Amino acid sequence: MKKTWPTLFILLIIAVLIGIGLFSGRFMIYLTIRVMLLGIFALGYNLLLGRTGLLSFGHGAFYAAGAYGLGFFSLHLSSHPLLGIVTGIAAAALLALIIGFFCVRHTEIYFAMLTLAFGMMVFSLIWNLRDFTGGDDGLVGIMREAVSFFGLIKIPIKTDKQFYFLILIFFLLSAWVVHRLQNSPFGLALAGIRENSNRSEFAGVSVKNYRLAVFVISGAFAGLAGALETLLESNARPFMAHWSHSAEPILVSLLGGLLSFTGPLVGSVFFIAMREIIQRFTENWMLWFGVVLLIVIMGFRGGVVGVLEGLLGRSRKELKE
Amino acid sequence: MGEVILDIKKLTNFFGQVCTATNLDLRIESGVLTSIIGPNGAGKSTLINLITGNLPVQSGTIFFKNQDITHLPIHKRVRLGVCRSFQIVNIFPELTVLENIMIPILTMAGRTWRLFAKTAQEKAGRTQAEAVLERVGLIQRKDTVANALSHGDQRLLEVGVALAVNPSLLFLDEPTAGMNPVERVRLLENIRQLSKDGRTTFVLVEHDMDIVFSLSDRVIVLHRGIILGDGNPDEIRSNKQVREVYLGDSV
Amino acid sequence: MLQSVAHVILAGLSTGMFIWLVASGLTLIFGVLGVLNFAHGSFYMLGAYFCFTVLKYLGANFWLGLLLGPICVCIIGFLVERFFLRYVYHLALPYQLLLTFAFVLIFDNLVKMVWGAGSLTPPDLRSLSGSLEIIGRKFPIYNLFIIGVGPLVALGLWLMIEKSWWGRIIRAASSDREMAAAIGVPVPALFTSVFLFGTWLGAIGGGLAVPYVGLLTSGMGETIIIEAFIVAVIGGLGSLKGAFVGALIIGILTAFGTRFFPAFDMFLTFILMAIVLLWKPQGLFGGTK
Repeated sequence: MKKTWPTLFILLIIAVLIGIGLFSGRFMIYLTIRVMLLGIFALGYNLLLGRTGLLSFGHGAFYAAGAYGLGFFSLHLSSHPLLGIVTGIAAAALLALIIGFFCVRHTEIYFAMLTLAFGMMVFSLIWNLRDFTGGDDGLVGIMREAVSFFGLIKIPIKTDKQFYFLILIFFLLSAWVVHRLQNSPFGLALAGIRENSNRSEFAGVSVKNYRLAVFVISGAFAGLAGALETLLESNARPFMAHWSHSAEPILVSLLGGLLSFTGPLVGSVFFIAMREIIQRFTENWMLWFGVVLLIVIMGFRGGVVGVLEGLLGRSRKELKE
Repeated sequence: MGEVILDIKKLTNFFGQVCTATNLDLRIESGVLTSIIGPNGAGKSTLINLITGNLPVQSGTIFFKNQDITHLPIHKRVRLGVCRSFQIVNIFPELTVLENIMIPILTMAGRTWRLFAKTAQEKAGRTQAEAVLERVGLIQRKDTVANALSHGDQRLLEVGVALAVNPSLLFLDEPTAGMNPVERVRLLENIRQLSKDGRTTFVLVEHDMDIVFSLSDRVIVLHRGIILGDGNPDEIRSNKQVREVYLGDSV
Repeated sequence: MLQSVAHVILAGLSTGMFIWLVASGLTLIFGVLGVLNFAHGSFYMLGAYFCFTVLKYLGANFWLGLLLGPICVCIIGFLVERFFLRYVYHLALPYQLLLTFAFVLIFDNLVKMVWGAGSLTPPDLRSLSGSLEIIGRKFPIYNLFIIGVGPLVALGLWLMIEKSWWGRIIRAASSDREMAAAIGVPVPALFTSVFLFGTWLGAIGGGLAVPYVGLLTSGMGETIIIEAFIVAVIGGLGSLKGAFVGALIIGILTAFGTRFFPAFDMFLTFILMAIVLLWKPQGLFGGTK
């Protein structure tokens, strides 16, 4: 995974993102926010899938935990957005710790089934506990108060344009954190687990513990994305925990390229773009989601990044048996 | 030299009806280079799997340096100092040779819980890893992806990953199978050297009798889960039972 | 009280049998092919929808629907296995799972497109309708029929796998694919046949569900596959015995939940799953793997 992105390129992307925030219309801003939120979700998720080789179908539950965590905090305690976000992340991480504890001791198939089952359990809990969670309406009326630091500085985030820059900061922060994690000894151990978990044990790696750690970390990122979406839409919904939502970061990472750092980011752009276009023609976006997934698995497992690398003459990167 | 580091008592293992270890009692002394030989199906790999943790122990006890490791998970045994290499190449295929070695080195040094350190800046680990690669003769290939290596080089890497853990007790399961004579000699020299240095006690599973008899201080003969013979190479060579069952009369 | 409990148990048994029918196909496919077919719930749903269509538009009787519906599903299953799944057996596990998952998305939404997004009400059955009085309360005859069908299927499967020629071959092929191929077993075709049979079981479950659920929705595949997964975890993935026992336990537990703790019915099964996971991680009858 030795990618030396010229710093210039990164600065260019950041410049573009800032430019969009300053000069674009509302729709473009909204769309880019959506891309960044999905990017945060997928980046964190891909630590689990692309890096460690674990396929979870239940990460929507952590997204929802972040969303409802922020929601409850905001509605009942304080509407300070940063505190709410922290609460959301903490709730997601805690839930991931609990669910992860049951799941990581199993591998592969059991792991996939269990995460799916637990994810849907969270979904049905949220759906059924109407009085508490608002059922299928979800939590509504979550305000986007100004970010205040000790009551001295107040940074408003009311309009989407203003909120955009808060999201941009979190997005860049997330990208930086994930990048550091991947290039750390911890990230190397995770890659080892993906490549050969038995041999990792014989290298002294307590595989279960590392899996749990990365599960919680990826859950925390999901929670961050969920909390931010709740602030964006002023609303937390049960479908965030549904498996069809859990499938989004999977498709995004796969579409972009599982084994590269930028894969999930590229995938997010493509995903949102595709969805926008397809939704203009049909309501049945999920059908096409499935078709795209099918095509990628049958023929383009390296994702967009894999295709690009192929054009540049480098080998295709996919998960090997 | 001479102190017992591994003490196995009454180790028994069944695969369904087949008994692959029958009430085994075995003691390994530090510094004594031991070989385990026996026909196919004798239970050699099973024994290693039981000792190193790949197979759960059904009955019996295993003590390492006076600590009960019978039911410890694999990584804990490795941390205590018991490790192994595999008969079939069992490396990290899509990672580079250097990364393959860095994983055990950084893990054993406790560096892998550092979430924000940079692997590229792990100078001490890198130096140690390169030292291991020098030893097994793979230093030129350190940036090659593991599954792009030739089979012989992969076997060297296989042993390298085990050595990188720096264990007190290392089981090598047919380490030289598939190597060319040059690689073989080099590896065996390394094993002899490291054994003399005294930090690692080697136990080899081997089929090549030349290696067994020229290298080992002690030879254990396993047959159908039972220890048929146990002594220095000369004693084993002249053991009638062993000759019948295993060596034929060609030695 | 006894009346309530007895009826809850009966209701649980009949629900459990549906789950068993679906879980049996899932387990068979997993046990032999090593593939966890996420789309199995969709085949159940398609079985129900096709059967419904035959009932409604061909004005035919239920048994014809039960015959034709699953056959249509098997055709779809054949296409899935032969042209897609077969090519991913050798790939890393996530790709196999994701492929079947892609089909879930495709089928669940195709159903919405073809039959509409709303729910469908099947016409009333003429035979097997009505109810029987058991301990002072009426219990539908159809449900009793289902309670009878379940064990019959279990027996039939057991006989097929243990005693028949086909059963022997698939047992051999599932334990050692390469060896079986080496001695001349046409493994790809065999796998397709197992996939078809498993799919057929799921589709039959769907067809039988038509008079039982009273309402067909495109989400019905979803709920049943999760129940089947939980059954597999509890019973042990790959064990038909485990699937049967697990399905009954889940069915009865869900029935108790629905009757006595309405908001938490599914939650009870999850708790049971968590307990089994802690106590016996491989499931009650699970083997190695």
